[in-house]
Amino acid sequence: MTRTALLSIVAASLLAGTAFGAARPRYGGTLRLTTSAAPASVDPASSTLGTLTIANIYRLLFDTLVVLDARGKPQPALATAWQAEPGEQRWHFQLRPGLTFQDGTAITADAIAASLRAANANWKVFPTANGIDIECQPAEPTLPSQLALPAYGIAKRTAGKLSASGAFAISRWDPGKKLTLTAREDYWRGRTFVDSIEIDMAKSFRDQIIALDLNQADVVEIPAEQARHATAEGRHVGNSGVDLLALVFTRDSRSPDESKLRDALAMGIDRAAINNGLLQGQGEPAGTLLPNWMTGYAFLFPAELNLGSARRMRAETLAVSSWSLGYDAADPLSRIIAERIVLNARDAGLTLQLSSATPDLRLQRIPLQSLEPRFVLTMLAAKAGMPVPKFADDSSASLYAAEAALLQSRRIIPLLHVRNSLGLGANVKNWTVDRDGTWHPEDVWLGGEKP
Amino acid sequence: MRGTWPKPIYNPRIPLMPALRSRLLRTAPALLCTFLFLSTMQAQKWSGAQTQLAARIVALTGPGTMSLELVNKCSLSRSEADEIRRGILTELAAAGAQFVNAERAAATLKIYLSEDLTNYLWIAEVRQGAGEPAIAMVSLPRPDAPIAEHETLVTTIHKGLLWSQDTRILDVAVIDGNPSNMLVLDESNVGVYRLQGVRWQQEQRLPIAHSRPWPRDLRGRLQLRKDHLFDAYLPGVYCKSTMAGSLTMSCFDSDDPWPVGTDQAVLSAFFAPARNFFTGVVAPPLGAQNTVPAFYSAAFVPREKYTLWLFAAVDGHVHFADGMRDQVAAKLAWGSDLATVHSNCGSGWQVLASTSNASNDTVEAFEFPDREAIAASQPADFNGTITALWAETSGASAIAIAHNSETGKYDAYRLTFDCGR
Repeated sequence: MTRTALLSIVAASLLAGTAFGAARPRYGGTLRLTTSAAPASVDPASSTLGTLTIANIYRLLFDTLVVLDARGKPQPALATAWQAEPGEQRWHFQLRPGLTFQDGTAITADAIAASLRAANANWKVFPTANGIDIECQPAEPTLPSQLALPAYGIAKRTAGKLSASGAFAISRWDPGKKLTLTAREDYWRGRTFVDSIEIDMAKSFRDQIIALDLNQADVVEIPAEQARHATAEGRHVGNSGVDLLALVFTRDSRSPDESKLRDALAMGIDRAAINNGLLQGQGEPAGTLLPNWMTGYAFLFPAELNLGSARRMRAETLAVSSWSLGYDAADPLSRIIAERIVLNARDAGLTLQLSSATPDLRLQRIPLQSLEPRFVLTMLAAKAGMPVPKFADDSSASLYAAEAALLQSRRIIPLLHVRNSLGLGANVKNWTVDRDGTWHPEDVWLGGEKP
Repeated sequence: MRGTWPKPIYNPRIPLMPALRSRLLRTAPALLCTFLFLSTMQAQKWSGAQTQLAARIVALTGPGTMSLELVNKCSLSRSEADEIRRGILTELAAAGAQFVNAERAAATLKIYLSEDLTNYLWIAEVRQGAGEPAIAMVSLPRPDAPIAEHETLVTTIHKGLLWSQDTRILDVAVIDGNPSNMLVLDESNVGVYRLQGVRWQQEQRLPIAHSRPWPRDLRGRLQLRKDHLFDAYLPGVYCKSTMAGSLTMSCFDSDDPWPVGTDQAVLSAFFAPARNFFTGVVAPPLGAQNTVPAFYSAAFVPREKYTLWLFAAVDGHVHFADGMRDQVAAKLAWGSDLATVHSNCGSGWQVLASTSNASNDTVEAFEFPDREAIAASQPADFNGTITALWAETSGASAIAIAHNSETGKYDAYRLTFDCGR
């Protein structure tokens, strides 16, 4: 990626939305969001945080012990300080005093311990005099970054009822259809500018765009392949995080010949054509799992089409390649990309067939939900069914070695880093998004509304 | 075919050259010293990483012939990249490397200057023979971009950078004297600084106690007083300094009105304690007007028999209040921050208003011969958004706080007028 392109993306992600310029933020109004997701629960511990939109909705309701800043460094939130014991298996977290859930009860160490136990049964969480201790097995060197994930939002669960700890309280919840949130006046970081947020769920992308155009929604999801078109039609489009698009094999390579075939497939895929044609330039061809802006070394791994080498490698082995390729049947773009990969494989002399049942490899789209590279790599490895990466220390060289080892296993072939997009109404001011897709609707205000 | 080069022609001597040369001779030693000092500082900045990377490369290649290519893929400037390249070459040579053409080299070396979210990352890709390249890398912390000083040269509004910090500055008050002192109000403290030479040195931090969470877009104001040093106003909180041996400050939950004028035009207004605006209730009343529309900021223009007040209202318009009626200035596309400055320029009274251009916020001065605003200065550009604009208590200057979009810091400026430019 060129420096100019990088800077423009940084600017876009920081200022995705209309900056308020010389006008001060205004209080009041309802921010209306739409999403294609339809979660059955808003409990961060029991829900699958499938999409960035849903993850962000949970962030509105449930504060975490730690948040990540724009550089991926953990910063205090419900916890004011933390420290690991040698070996990084046991961590102490000191808690911010005087905070309450939406029902008015205090956010105590006991309540936080109970919430975290519900989120991760493998951890042992103990309340202490001024905080909590978390014991992990094995060691968790990136535990603070992990605790910044929305899945570890602090919730109070009483008789099937959830009480929020975040900037908004749940005022109405129609599972899978509609969620209405109300700003909490006593929120410890200051009451949000908007009075409430309404989230309409299970909306198709088409319906979302129509709702935006008819001023029935303020923030809508836009599929990557339609972002350029939406911009060309005059809509305001902002970034909303990055997904890794990758081919993931269901098992390890069993022989050097099979490894060669997998290498041939990796070299034979025309990532640039997929990006330019199918994704309308909304991605970056990837030779690594983590993007270059996160690691600084991704350019060392080739992502260009190398058909000559792919064919040569294919010819060096007599092994038969007949793989079935799975994809997300609910996502039309996923099918089109899978079809293009089948054609690329054929050009390289490999046989690949589309299949929905028990495929040998699957086209997967995995959100990069954090800015902490070691944690993201661990999460990606888990999603791809690979062993937990080993880090000698927290240096870049150690990260490079761990990622190179994952790629060397040939279990996963990175294809593209795809930018997610949102459409924003003209009245939405100061909409900002971190590079990991974290929204900051607490800073958003609506133009044209009176307090 | 080779052409014939024209015979070189030299320019005649320029009459001013001797003067320039003698001036240059006088200033050259100072310039040379500055250059050498900066060069030395720069070289020292990278030396540790240069040594480390060279050691790691030589550990892979051993001493011998090598070729080197450096690729800058990060935000470092070309001159910085050249500086780093020279340093690495020196370190490698000291470790026994000899630099030759790629064809004659035992190892070809490609060094990338890259960066991630927090660090610079220098990567050496070492090729020896036909095998896979070996990789060596070092990282070093990437500092935040330096604070740019914005001294205006050709504008009637002079911006003097007073202070810069990571946390949001709400207001600054300068107590001119010998030495001068400065108060910096942020969400947690009033910082007390003393001017020593050209630098402000922190003397004290006076913590602000408050029982309620602060609202978003937090605002606050400092007022210098005659009977005690200062008052600080924040949403729902009033702080007062006391001097009993040492300087202390007491804060109370309070909804008392904030001063919104200056020594020349006194007016107080009630601030909504959980919001970012004034409710519109003012004291003393403006003639027959007890209330004005809820507003973010106020300015005034003294008239012969009354004071014309301007309010940047929450409805997005500027409202005039003359004591009789409220009038919307529909044509004014100003921002939310206004302040009045009493200067020696023009009519003597200028209203400063925040405005914005395509990329950044600006502050511009206006005069009001009648109800129409007349631009009285070039816009003063700020590298980011204006988060506060308050007239200083004396009324002779104003304080502007800008959130610098390059550094992420909050910069406090004192705005004064240069009439002659």
